[in-house]
Amino acid sequence: MYLDRRMLANIDWRIAGTTLALIGVGILTIWSANLGSPSPPRQTLYLRQALYAALALLGLLTATFINYRTIARFAYVIFGVVLALLILVSVAGEVGRGAQRWIQVGGWTFQPSEFMKLALIVVLARYFEDHKERLGHPRLLVIPAMVALPPMLLILKQPDLGTAVLLGLLTVSVLLLVGLRVKHLVFLTAAGATMAPLLWSFLKDYQRRRVLVFLNPELDPSGAGYHIAQSKIAVGSGEFFGKGLKAASQSQLHFLPASQTDFILAVLAEQWGFIGCLVILLLYYVLITRGLEIAGESKDIFGALLAFGIMAMITVQLVVNVGMVVGIMPVVGIPLPLLSYGGSSLVVTCIGIGLVMSVHLRRFLY
Amino acid sequence: MSRPWFSPTPVIQGRIHRTTLLVTVALLLLLMRFWYLQILEGRYYATLSIHNRLRLRLVEAPRGFILDRSGAVIVENRPSFSVYVTPADIPDVDEAARAIGAVLRQAPEEIAARIRAGQARPAYPVLVAREVSEPTMVAIEERKMNLPGVSVRVQPTRAYLDGDVAAHLLGYVSEVTQEQLYRDEYRDFQSGETVGQTGVERLFDAFVRGINGREEIEVDARGRLVRFLDRLEPQSGFNLVLTLDAKLQHAAEKAFAGKRGAVVAMHPQTGEILAWVSRPSYDPNLFAQRLSRESWEKLITDPAHPLQNRPLQAQYAPGSILKLVVMAAGLDTGALTPGTTFACPGYFTLGAVTFDDWEKGGHGRQDLMQAVAHSCNVYFYQAALKTGIDAIARVAREFGLGQKTGIAAVGDEAAGLVPTPAWKRSVLGESWYPGDTVITGIGQGMILVTPLQIVTMVAAIANGGTLHRPWMVKRVESWGGEVVAAYGPEPVRRVNLSPQVLELLRQGMLGVVEDGTGKAARVRGVQVAGKTGTAQVVRKEARISGQTKDHGWFVAFAPYTDPEIAIVVIAENAGFGGVVAAPVARAVLEAAFGPPRGRETVAQGPGARE
Repeated sequence: MYLDRRMLANIDWRIAGTTLALIGVGILTIWSANLGSPSPPRQTLYLRQALYAALALLGLLTATFINYRTIARFAYVIFGVVLALLILVSVAGEVGRGAQRWIQVGGWTFQPSEFMKLALIVVLARYFEDHKERLGHPRLLVIPAMVALPPMLLILKQPDLGTAVLLGLLTVSVLLLVGLRVKHLVFLTAAGATMAPLLWSFLKDYQRRRVLVFLNPELDPSGAGYHIAQSKIAVGSGEFFGKGLKAASQSQLHFLPASQTDFILAVLAEQWGFIGCLVILLLYYVLITRGLEIAGESKDIFGALLAFGIMAMITVQLVVNVGMVVGIMPVVGIPLPLLSYGGSSLVVTCIGIGLVMSVHLRRFLY
Repeated sequence: MSRPWFSPTPVIQGRIHRTTLLVTVALLLLLMRFWYLQILEGRYYATLSIHNRLRLRLVEAPRGFILDRSGAVIVENRPSFSVYVTPADIPDVDEAARAIGAVLRQAPEEIAARIRAGQARPAYPVLVAREVSEPTMVAIEERKMNLPGVSVRVQPTRAYLDGDVAAHLLGYVSEVTQEQLYRDEYRDFQSGETVGQTGVERLFDAFVRGINGREEIEVDARGRLVRFLDRLEPQSGFNLVLTLDAKLQHAAEKAFAGKRGAVVAMHPQTGEILAWVSRPSYDPNLFAQRLSRESWEKLITDPAHPLQNRPLQAQYAPGSILKLVVMAAGLDTGALTPGTTFACPGYFTLGAVTFDDWEKGGHGRQDLMQAVAHSCNVYFYQAALKTGIDAIARVAREFGLGQKTGIAAVGDEAAGLVPTPAWKRSVLGESWYPGDTVITGIGQGMILVTPLQIVTMVAAIANGGTLHRPWMVKRVESWGGEVVAAYGPEPVRRVNLSPQVLELLRQGMLGVVEDGTGKAARVRGVQVAGKTGTAQVVRKEARISGQTKDHGWFVAFAPYTDPEIAIVVIAENAGFGGVVAAPVARAVLEAAFGPPRGRETVAQGPGARE
């Protein structure tokens, strides 16, 4: 590891600042969302999130000061290990709330599916760097798609539709960057459509119901649509200035499901109104556009793809999650990066941001 | 230096630039959506949130059944009426509590307290009464107009089909307590949910509990149901198949009726619990139906301790059962051989102290086998002195005495006590006297054991020396019969005694039943081996309980060759083990090995009536 004053001075404070601000808002919202809860462990969830945040920032710093070329060197190993963990989960994972997603190490449980997001980005970046002379060649797009498929199926089987879809979108966005043409995309979509029955058979009943309800809300306006309806009421009733931290009845009366995880933004929107949402979206905007700038300035393809992939991950999660909260996307379990409660997601996002900063730090170094 | 391998970058940079535009557009679209919801439609949604008439209620999942080893149902569920109150629909808590209390004939203060506890989440109905009778339910329905926020629902309630039978092993369920809700392990529970509180119900709660469903309903301004919006069906819990044998359990309960103490039967080859009696017992149904304060007070202040799980938690002096340990220790060290004889004139004098035999006139001169069969105290006073306390204590620990068996159970398992000179010096600050060794030789003095330790020891003698950890759940099954989890024997270790010593122990025990103090345990058609014991109730204990009669012990295994059952019986304050405990063991063994063949033939005599 190579560290000097110039590197420290080159730390990107726009990224670091927005990251810290978003994490802080998340902890505050988790605290306030559980104010009225009768369960003391829920009341202290925010402390856990603070602990996860400390861990995540440690991960962020480590990733920043690691030379990302080292990551490139071990890309395939990293992917292999995370894939092995995913298989381990499907064989011997913890079953929580009807899904098999967690691995327990000591007193900690973590979700390998979250780490798979980073591993997939890393392995795709490495693959395209290895084949940089022929970028854009259609045949080069097939193998990455094949690589992405096993983890997607494993995660779908857990069942975790949201993360599986996210991996798919991530792969597509990286492919688009390296030269996937729209006509290829059409071809892939057609191939996907023929695969759909197979995918459908992997889905659990509740997931099928959600997809169907999204495609045709008239099917079940009060069933799976309930979450969306309640979320919209929470968001809308925040109006311009919000109801304040303690008067957010929608979330505190528990009309709102999963208020500290997937629907945390609805809580925030109810508390802080349009102003709050504007600020949050601005913070994400600064974070993402700066990250993309860094991708463009990278000295090599791996760094460019790495930073781009990580920003794509954050963007896709952001858009899908917010879209779900405001009722323009289906209810799939995707957390809001940096804000939602959950250790694995937070740690993974922060390590990703750290890697982007590492790319930034080393844009001049050889 | 130019970057030769960097040629595609301008293209990629262009694409990244376009991505930035895309992100900007996407976030602007989301912002517009917020604008639409919060500004344009904000008033509308604000009104909706004030008049949110959606109510959520929990649909409790039926718990899995508990079955005996052959599949007979021991614990199931039956429907019962429960009364709920939704805090959000109540204008005045005290007034509502008075009205509800009048119909239910319950103290309004308690109802008011329950409603207040639920006010943090006013959309969730609070359970105020379970097991409501039919007339009460009708009364509520009639007065519905005056009872806003009150609803009656049918719910599964736990039903223990045999009442207090095997209650301590099965455990009971009850509503999760406020104090439990404060603990992290109960984080996912909601007030009003049912949870296993002890026994198998608690240990396997995660399997048995199932997954609760949820109902979303729309209510009118008075909190009455307008329509169902959504229902997430509950998923029933998994069934438990126990190692317990209902036939043996019932035989044991019947034979032990009216006594205090414990009976445990175990499969000696595997450690499976076949019967588990702890008396006095309690009816777990009372807990499932919500126990009244008086009944609870009565249970916990009862001097006979009905809630104590005696096989696991009660410690007794082993009495003459310990002679098996002394015998093993003597044979193992060579201090005794089968041919060793001592004279028994009915008493034994050591220095200035005289120790009596239970047989006033004495047993005369006896060898080891005779002394075991007749449980001669004077023989074992001398055998213990000759063997020495260290060897006795070592073999006692070898058999698992003085340590927990490690059975998976709720509640603290007692470890018992194997006294040694070192222990006495450090704990009591006194030296060990030869007299201590003498009375330890007949299982009196400071030594303490639990019934479970004793049956584990007898099982080890019977199976040729393997100490098993007792277990009681064979399988967890889904309703379709799919095995979710399966359990098997857990051998702890081999007892470090030679096969010859164990063989002599078995022969000695055979003599006890064939021709000694345990004749009352003889079963026609099966060879039974056993040992009687009588634990004197020491003065201090007697002063506390007011009971001076001795505790009667009996242990046995059968059939003699290839044993299938090991059993322990202890009857508190009942008298001689051979008289009060041995017949209980016989009843269980008869249930296991069928009635004597002769009787069977008579009963089934073909065409006797024609």
